[in-house]
Amino acid sequence: MNTLSGLFLEAAGKFSSRTAVIEDGVSVTYGDLARSALSFASYLSSRGVGKGDRVAIFLPNSIEFVTAVFGVSLSGAVSVPVNSSFKTDEVGFYLGHSGAGLLVTADGLIKTAAEASAGSGIELVSVKGEKAAWKFLGNHQEEAVAADVGPGDEAIYLYSTGSTGKPKRVARTHYNLSALADNHTATVGWTWEDRVLFVVPISHTYGFGNFISAVKSGAAVIVSGEFNRNRVLDLLEKERITAFPAVPVMLDALSKTHTDRPRDLSSLKLVISAGAPLQEHTFFRFHERFSVYPRQLYGSTETGVISINLSGDDEIAERFNSVGRPVKNVSVKVFGEDGREAGTGEPGELAVRSPSMTAGYYGLPEETARVFRDGYYFTGDLGMIDEAGYIYIKGRKKLLINVGGFKVDPGEVENLLSQHPDIKEAAVLGVTDSLGNERVKAVIVARRPMDVKDVIGFCRERIAEYKVPSLVEFRRGLPRSPTGKILREQLK
Amino acid sequence: MSDAIKSRVKKVLSGSFLKDAGFPELGDGAPLIDYGVGVDSVSRLEFLVALEEEFGVRLDEAEIPPDFFESVDSISGYISRRVP
Repeated sequence: MNTLSGLFLEAAGKFSSRTAVIEDGVSVTYGDLARSALSFASYLSSRGVGKGDRVAIFLPNSIEFVTAVFGVSLSGAVSVPVNSSFKTDEVGFYLGHSGAGLLVTADGLIKTAAEASAGSGIELVSVKGEKAAWKFLGNHQEEAVAADVGPGDEAIYLYSTGSTGKPKRVARTHYNLSALADNHTATVGWTWEDRVLFVVPISHTYGFGNFISAVKSGAAVIVSGEFNRNRVLDLLEKERITAFPAVPVMLDALSKTHTDRPRDLSSLKLVISAGAPLQEHTFFRFHERFSVYPRQLYGSTETGVISINLSGDDEIAERFNSVGRPVKNVSVKVFGEDGREAGTGEPGELAVRSPSMTAGYYGLPEETARVFRDGYYFTGDLGMIDEAGYIYIKGRKKLLINVGGFKVDPGEVENLLSQHPDIKEAAVLGVTDSLGNERVKAVIVARRPMDVKDVIGFCRERIAEYKVPSLVEFRRGLPRSPTGKILREQLK
Repeated sequence: MSDAIKSRVKKVLSGSFLKDAGFPELGDGAPLIDYGVGVDSVSRLEFLVALEEEFGVRLDEAEIPPDFFESVDSISGYISRRVP
């Protein structure tokens, strides 16, 4: 059956005795994971959760996160993964906007979860920690039955960073997810012998797409929380990792990390780089140190995985800056400004047709009509396709800041800054540092004297760390066009 | 701690962070947060990696003290205890 729960149960049946997830040395088989997820589905049912209800999952990468995702799916409800680094107001937005009736979290996040859901009537359930109301181990119910969901039912809500001040809700159906796993797995060729390390958040579209593909293959999923270079190197070596989805900042840091001894990463076959452009020096340095080339992957919240660069080792050095060719059953075209399809090598906007793409944005018919046209999703990314079908991304139309793979909407940060009583107006933009990475810069027009740490402290309390401006500049006024539009280029 | 270590820390700071920020008269005890140093995980990571390259010592993000990024003094003090 083309559903997320079907995909999971099929893998659990085929690979029952094989390792499904490893966290901090604790290993769980596919059989145990299935029993636990079914049990969690029954628990959710006992709390009144049924088909079509929304369950927010506010957890870091963990066995509990994995169990919750499949448990929610088996219950027939819709998962709403929430980045575990989010602050109260951010979590509150996701809860309110998704219509979640229940929030699954961990003891360590319960304070934020409680503040975010205060007065909303949303139930909180901790599943990780000493005070957990439901615990992964010891809650097996063999007789638990999966809810009857079909391919067209909604399976998950992911949120796409926009440039309108608020994230946009993207619903993906069971069919969308099943197709994503089918096509990505068929392209990268993962099997039950693979061992995939997840340091990138599984709550994010990039992590999630690779995660469900790994599960479909019966691979072992090794989960880790925050990125720590030495810990990641330990895991890559000790767990004999074969595949590692990462972002360029991680790969660059790993390639330069001081170590007391050589690391044996000979098991590593596929290192995936996505979320931001891979710099040439990172590509070559990573290979020089670990003897494996990073491969760029292209994807979006709206479509899932689009393409991956799997060109041979004899070609990859020439094509390292390509995000590769489309994965199975996905089509990518380039359209020029005149709306006509561009020829080979001609620049334009990249548009994607994929069986795993969403039908549109919730509650945003105009924005949906603007970017979903003629069966294609117009990505806002600018690029070209060469004669061999390799896709190259050259820029973007959207006003987004890319911080280590996380997209930041300048409007969201500007809206927040405008709430500070001492700030008259603010403009937020991305600037590139000496290593080629983007940073968030805020240009502030203050009502009265204030300093940088006031601005940073105000943001740190209210938004995830990656959105906080790392450069703050004060000005008497913001440069504007005759129509009043802020001239951001003059602020870089 | 030696002035040489402080000087090298300042060199890394000016090389790792935004070109237009500049560190013209950066005092040893000046709060680095005013320059956005250590604000987010990406900039912290970049800075630690650059310091490791400069000094050839391991600086693990999970082991450094909470006040590590506060000033040139705090960074230099920690490094001086680790440099052989």
